[in-house]
Amino acid sequence: MSKFRKEQERSAPAMNTASLPDIVFMLLFFFMVATTSKETDPTVKYTAPEGSRTEDLTPYKQRSEIDFLYLGAPRNPNRASAFKFGYALSLDNVVQATPDGLYSTNAVARWKRDKFDQKPARMIAPIEAVITCVKADQSAPSGLVFDIRKQLQDIDALTIAYSVKDKGVNKSSQ
Amino acid sequence: MANRDIPEINAGSMADIAFLLLLFFLVTTTMDKDQAYVRSIPKKIEIPPEDLPDVQKRNILAIKANSQNQLMVRNVVFSDPDMISDFILRFYQTSEIKNKPEENFPLYSTATLGLCDLRMAEMEAKIEEADKVGATDMAKFFSSALNEWDKKKKAIKLYGKSELREIDKQAHIRIEVQEATAYSIFTQIHNEIEEAVIELRNNKCKELFGEPYTLVKQRYNQDSDAKDKDILDLIEILYPARIIEVTPKN
Repeated sequence: MSKFRKEQERSAPAMNTASLPDIVFMLLFFFMVATTSKETDPTVKYTAPEGSRTEDLTPYKQRSEIDFLYLGAPRNPNRASAFKFGYALSLDNVVQATPDGLYSTNAVARWKRDKFDQKPARMIAPIEAVITCVKADQSAPSGLVFDIRKQLQDIDALTIAYSVKDKGVNKSSQ
Repeated sequence: MANRDIPEINAGSMADIAFLLLLFFLVTTTMDKDQAYVRSIPKKIEIPPEDLPDVQKRNILAIKANSQNQLMVRNVVFSDPDMISDFILRFYQTSEIKNKPEENFPLYSTATLGLCDLRMAEMEAKIEEADKVGATDMAKFFSSALNEWDKKKKAIKLYGKSELREIDKQAHIRIEVQEATAYSIFTQIHNEIEEAVIELRNNKCKELFGEPYTLVKQRYNQDSDAKDKDILDLIEILYPARIIEVTPKN
């Protein structure tokens, strides 16, 4: 019996936490590598519509073969009347008028051209293949999307992507 | 003095620092991927051609949406957008096995290896002719046609049957929206088209090769295997997705 009593008296040794930083760093690196940060924070308000069976744009992002433009309501609601249908276009965080609003009508074409010219020389994709991803608000009028499309057609940037939020495949429809 | 040991640095707070960094990245990053429907825009035509070929009514599947976000397919008005994919399935499948001219849906034609060889020889002759005159545009056009027939020939070989039934060349899906139609309706139409076409392609691919089209495509995007490319080409010839987006009038 004396044997057991001895055991109870001994206090538990302190746990060695020296490897804890290693574990946490590992997690940290995982998140740093696995996530992509948002290109820009849009300067317009927008809620993406939902859809399924979409294409993942990550490979294009990794190759920088994609440019994003936002179409949504201006942050300041009083300014909405200055834009066609009350929706503003945001190109690289600069709020532009919609194609026939306040500013020059070829804002999209000029922006896309500039972006293409700034890409590094090792990028070999021609402008026809560089995607322009339209991130439009769910209630934005389609006419504006077609205005953008027209601008892109004029400069031969012939690939467009209509952004949606993926809700997964609807099981009932399968 | 010189022999005094350097005291060990307490690394106990290292974990705290690492946690802080970890939490920062957790909070600032968004996990959701960018998802979209990728479409190509037709090239701009400088001089509009004068005599456009007539497109038969049966070859057009017009999906329309008005400014009140009401949907219409072939003069049938409905509110549930899920019905669009059923229409598209019928559009493709009505004449798939056997031509049914009495139905108002596109007819299928049969391509054989012999026909491919014949057309390819024709195209080669035409390229030669165009080269002689120096019409580079025409030569380019014929060589792309030659390429197409070559692709078809490869597809028939992979298909393993003597002939391949393909939908009318003019058969297409047309999206007609109005200026004020909500963007969500526009993407919903794209969603339904994608759903129907992918369902057809998946089923066919499973039947022929034992795995769905989406899986093959995903693998091809990663590894660019030539064998996968041939499979994708065949399935895309069997069920082509020809989509026309009509610019709304003011």
